[in-house]
Amino acid sequence: MIEVHDLHKTFKARTGPVHAVRGVGFRARDGEITGLLGPNGAGKTTTLRMLYTLMSPDRGSVKVDGLDFREQAAEVRARLGVLPDARGVYKRLTARENIAYFGRLHGLGERTIAERIETLATALQMHDFLDRRTEGFSQGQRTKTAIARALVHDPRNVILDEPTNGLDVMTTRGLREFLQRLRGEGRCVIFSSHIMQEVAALCDRIVIIANGEVRAEGSPDELRARAGEQNLEDAFVRLIGSEEGLHA
Amino acid sequence: MSTPRTSATATILAVARKELLDLFRDRRTVLLGLLMGPILLPALILGMGGLMEQRMRTQLESTLELPVVGAEHAPNLMNHLRSRNIEILPAPEDPEAVVLEQEHDVVLVVDAGYPDDWRASRSARVELVHDSSRRDSDIPMSRIGTAIQEYASTVGALRTVSRGVSPVAIVSVQAAPRDVATPESKRGMLLVFLPYLLILSAFLGGAYLVIDVTAGERERQSLEPLLATPASRGAIMSGKIVAACAFGMLSLLLILVAFKVSFMFAPGPLAQVDVSGPVMAQLLLVLLVMVLIGTALLTLISASVKSVKEAQSYMSVLMLLPIIPTIILMINPVKDEPWQFAVPFLAQNQMIMALVRSDPISAQQWLIYLGAGLGLALLLWLAAARLYHREKLAISA
Repeated sequence: MIEVHDLHKTFKARTGPVHAVRGVGFRARDGEITGLLGPNGAGKTTTLRMLYTLMSPDRGSVKVDGLDFREQAAEVRARLGVLPDARGVYKRLTARENIAYFGRLHGLGERTIAERIETLATALQMHDFLDRRTEGFSQGQRTKTAIARALVHDPRNVILDEPTNGLDVMTTRGLREFLQRLRGEGRCVIFSSHIMQEVAALCDRIVIIANGEVRAEGSPDELRARAGEQNLEDAFVRLIGSEEGLHA
Repeated sequence: MSTPRTSATATILAVARKELLDLFRDRRTVLLGLLMGPILLPALILGMGGLMEQRMRTQLESTLELPVVGAEHAPNLMNHLRSRNIEILPAPEDPEAVVLEQEHDVVLVVDAGYPDDWRASRSARVELVHDSSRRDSDIPMSRIGTAIQEYASTVGALRTVSRGVSPVAIVSVQAAPRDVATPESKRGMLLVFLPYLLILSAFLGGAYLVIDVTAGERERQSLEPLLATPASRGAIMSGKIVAACAFGMLSLLLILVAFKVSFMFAPGPLAQVDVSGPVMAQLLLVLLVMVLIGTALLTLISASVKSVKEAQSYMSVLMLLPIIPTIILMINPVKDEPWQFAVPFLAQNQMIMALVRSDPISAQQWLIYLGAGLGLALLLWLAAARLYHREKLAISA
């Protein structure tokens, strides 16, 4: 369970301060997939970075399983599985070594790591390339490696930043099934995307973000009802107030 | 920021292990980094030492060719010079031009008044024409000067004897130089470059690795997932520093072994340079401090800059740092004093020189050296750790 309350974040830029996130708040429940939907530059990545304590907000709070993200930052990170926007897979290590490295950083024993790698490799269909160096991996193989690495410690909460970015249709379908499996296991899954269909197909709850603010929040049906549109895409456009970045 | 699950030591070991594995997979970089030093440095030092010695030996032992103007005025002096392995050549037209054009190092000019002065028992004049700005003329000059001096004092002694005076009476004071340089310390003179080369290798030997694991990792955007794990940032950074230090020490060990082996085969006094096990261990301990300082400083720089390129542009300045004390000592030699063992680079220089010259190092000097060196490394480490906690570090623009 991840509770986000009134997050604000301002960056200094040459042209003056940029208020990237202004009062984002939502709740992501266990056993549900929560989608952050918004155009490019809406503040999704910055919001997620504050969730996994990489950035500290100017204002607001985050609670992960009831733990405060400021006071218990390390404990919060231990309860999160994070796939950042930048995958950052080490190219001279094999996929297995990449995953094992993060297992050790999470304090897991070698046997637990081996078992987890086995489970994740089966679930993500990684056995073909598990022991190859990641240099020269396809985008899909790299993403799978990064996801397995993020989940090596079997976290209750999973945060994925644009997980389907750059993936082909087949890999995307496989990934969708995997996310549904995570939900079935009772985990709290948050993922961000700028692709409407993606979010509509997968999410129990959708948080629409534009210009650093939450424009709407609810199940796909609720959003359709609120916008008075039958088509979710039309609802989305109405709710963010423009068509910007929708087809990026 | 400690966590109940991960201990700092486990994190440091996991990070160091991964960084070394990652590095050693990059075979070519590792081979260049590990083998260039051990091959090039001994070649450089032995080559220079050998060249210097060979030149000295040929100049000292070979027949010296000496053009003489007015040789006919002093036939006995010429015979004496010939007996000292000096060949008398016919007079050049312009003695000064011959020296300036480096055709000959020295030309002897016997004054036309030589025979008259000689017969009258006055001081007879000869001139040695040479160019003191050419180091090449040092040895011929001293050989000819000594030979003439010998001849002059022999004849002078005979003259005093023939007048019934003891030759000893005319030497009122005799200065007898007593050189206290030990054979070991004379060898040290051949090794003036050794400290600089060793300090430089220790200081910057692992530089590309250090820059790569912080600035490079940030540029490749793999720092973000790493910092999203519960492992503390201080421990992650320390693991990277440990890896770089281990690599730096391995490369220094190879360099020292290379020196040991090449000294064994070296000609001349270098063959006896003491690179025994205990000396090597002490050298490594001295250099370990330098490795720690260098790695912590480079980590600090890498964590503060925006890119690898920016970090690398610090290198040219850093390479000059270790040579500064060497230059200062050359211009203004100072006595060994306790404070010197607290100044980075100067301290390493003094310690290495002392070890190579087999001079004793007191416990107090060791204490000052280790205390100051490790203290500085710790300060740099703390500063780097502060930078590692900055928000900007994880996110590359």
